[in-house]
Amino acid sequence: MDIKEKVDSLLMKVSKPTRYTGGELNSVLKNPKEVKVRFAFAFPDVYEVGMSHLGMRILYHLLNKREDVYCERVFAPWVDMEALMRQNKIPLFTLETKTPLSEFDFVGFTLQYELSYTNVINMLNLANIPILSREREGLPFVIAGGPCAYNPAPLSEVIDFFVMGEGEEVIHEIIDAYIEWKERGGEREEFLEAVSQIQGVYVPKYYIEEYDKDGKIKEIRPIKKGIPERVKKRIVKDFENVYHPEEQIVPFMDIVHDRIMLEIFRGCTRGCRFCQAGMIYRPLREKSKEKILELADKLVKSTGYEEISLASLSTFDYSQIEDLIKELISRYQEKGIGVSIPSSRVDAVSINLLKEIQKVRKTGLTLAPEAGTQRLRDVINKGITEEDILEATASAFEAGWNNIKLYFMIGLPTETMEDVEGIVDLAYKIVDNYKRVKGNIKNLRVTVSTSTFVPKPFTPFQWVAQDSVKRIIEKQNFLKERLKSKVLKYNWHNPYMSFLEATISRGDRRVGKAIIKAWEKGCKFDGWDDYFDHEKWEKAFKETGVNPHFYANREWEIDEVLPWDVVDVGVTKKFLEREYKKALEGRITHDCRYYCTGCGVKDYDEGVICFEAPKK
Amino acid sequence: MKRLRSKYTKGEEVKFISHLDLLRVIQRALRRADIKVAFSQGFNPHPRISFGPALMVGATTEGDYMDVDVEEDISPHEFKERMNEVLPSGIKIVEVFEVDVRDSLSSRIKGADYLVEVFLKKEVEGLEEAVKRFMAKDTIEIEKETKKGKKLVDLKSYLEEFYLIDMNGERAKFYVKMKLGEGSPNPFHLLKAFNEYIGDAFDLEYYKIHRKNMFLE
Ligand code: SF4
Repeated sequence: MDIKEKVDSLLMKVSKPTRYTGGELNSVLKNPKEVKVRFAFAFPDVYEVGMSHLGMRILYHLLNKREDVYCERVFAPWVDMEALMRQNKIPLFTLETKTPLSEFDFVGFTLQYELSYTNVINMLNLANIPILSREREGLPFVIAGGPCAYNPAPLSEVIDFFVMGEGEEVIHEIIDAYIEWKERGGEREEFLEAVSQIQGVYVPKYYIEEYDKDGKIKEIRPIKKGIPERVKKRIVKDFENVYHPEEQIVPFMDIVHDRIMLEIFRGCTRGCRFCQAGMIYRPLREKSKEKILELADKLVKSTGYEEISLASLSTFDYSQIEDLIKELISRYQEKGIGVSIPSSRVDAVSINLLKEIQKVRKTGLTLAPEAGTQRLRDVINKGITEEDILEATASAFEAGWNNIKLYFMIGLPTETMEDVEGIVDLAYKIVDNYKRVKGNIKNLRVTVSTSTFVPKPFTPFQWVAQDSVKRIIEKQNFLKERLKSKVLKYNWHNPYMSFLEATISRGDRRVGKAIIKAWEKGCKFDGWDDYFDHEKWEKAFKETGVNPHFYANREWEIDEVLPWDVVDVGVTKKFLEREYKKALEGRITHDCRYYCTGCGVKDYDEGVICFEAPKK
Repeated sequence: MKRLRSKYTKGEEVKFISHLDLLRVIQRALRRADIKVAFSQGFNPHPRISFGPALMVGATTEGDYMDVDVEEDISPHEFKERMNEVLPSGIKIVEVFEVDVRDSLSSRIKGADYLVEVFLKKEVEGLEEAVKRFMAKDTIEIEKETKKGKKLVDLKSYLEEFYLIDMNGERAKFYVKMKLGEGSPNPFHLLKAFNEYIGDAFDLEYYKIHRKNMFLE
């Protein structure tokens, strides 16, 4: 058997073989010999998750637009495939040309969630690339970006360099520097030195993290001359004209988000205090309606998809959302192409729009009150009142919805059992509401889901202690008992997973040792309930002398050095501190769409402009 | 409304996509080609597209059929051209003709022929004769998985032709012609049965099945 037959023989035995075959519509085929740079874009989760990710889709096409670059894709093989690959000594390969990763110039990971870190390590190992950066002489540069890269400390021994912020511009600068370096035949070190001068690039080995006796960080500083003290994230200034793909890969298999993804704005002005995305993607930048319609047209033609998702952090906040949705519906209704809205602001206006959308394609109804009482909603700055929620659900029920999903968080700062009970009260008020509208509750289904609060870097709550696992379980049990009825269903998150997420998300370089140890013990796919193994992690922490509670369950001091202080995301620490104090006092900060509330991003860099909507 | 019957190929690149995936590929290709498909009536309207018996995942074909009911006056030739422009590589329409809207594809399909390639675990002498002896049997009982559990089926009653084309080194290539219909056995069932008959000489971890033609009545 030749290599292809060998691989095919494995594919006959695995579930979902098209995870590994490539060849989808709009995937790019080039002759690798005709390019100067081969880039393997790596997503540390399975195909159907990774392919649903917009950032990957943007960078894939953006890189492949360059004649001198070939960007291919690679995902974490599912456990059945991994076992066969290891048995048959087949190294991890890309979908497009089935080339082993070790033959690439770059392997670029996107870090979307902390529980994928063991997969990063596992993928490198499967590709026969040493998992430690310092042992990688003569092999590809392993780089990483994405929201989790903003705290680069835990993976600092694994990743050669991190890229902070939006990738559309900086990736070209990195590639250009690489070509220049390669053609001149430079040493590995020289390339790292060169990129360390590019804004947004963090080369971990040029920095040192030092500790105090009490275990807290004393200092993080560069240990080489000419290395910036803090790394500034990249912001795309001309969002209207920044590259957005006009084609999109259309997978053969069903993926998580199997539709056109069209990014209509970036950033969010709402200022929810727990939300990392709301801070790190600032400032708000919209695309014009005309631009969006033009892109929609091209994407519909090139993909044949039956649904267009308007992607952003809070789509109903788009300044011309009504016009946009109506226009899209009138253009595509005939062809049976629907619109979908990924986020969940719900008020009377958005319910009306959802009604329009519903005409073409059924959509579910999701609301995210996040907290059960007004007091706690004020603490987290979720600008939504009980009246808003009840009004919106009533008009939704009148319009014919019977299924509704409610998202809450438990373990939020200052939360008491009264607030947890508020979740139950709100759920029953919605049930009563339905009864009032419909007369009975026969067809009603309400799903209440709680996630567990995780303190995230660069949020006003970055200093807050996470509830202990024991406490979380108590709160979940409280809800399990009370949210039991024919029409109510309660879903909750594995509390040990949230604990691990908090540990890594606020982790420093020492936590990295535990991650590697956990991988050695067989941890991977930690975000998947079936594979998450809490006991292995506990052992890994113990054996590396890392106390996870120190990171997850401790209230950090305001003037403490944070592992991510080495990164500048534009939003100032002062602003975060002010927001934290206001939270504790239960004071809200209004949406900065209308008036600037001084987060600092505006003054961060020349040319950064926050979107200003016409004043109401 | 008119019904267009297309003969299509599914090559190496796409041999692992399932029947359901293929249906989605065709639907999206029709949308890209801007061809108006007819929809079924009723509460949950779906596009009127139908296929012949599903090909095994992992097999290739150069002669499968599908019917698409279109809601516009498009010629078979134009249908073929426009679809081929937008289909992913590996799937290609080779022939299109119009049939009566009451003409159902599944009742027309009678059989199919295949090229089958297997890898040998050990040397086999007299393979050609073994095939002949195998074919001379009156019945060949096999167990076949169905939705309702295992069932005994007489493979022989489906088998029309089976002979060795070529053997070189570790590979053997056969020609197979079989009846085809709802629940009929496929060439893999034949391979398994024959392998048992000759005392386990094939490495059935991997094999290649290529459908050459579907025979319509
Ligand atoms: S600078 Fe002002 S307007 Fe801009 S994101 Fe920050 S708070 Fe909002």
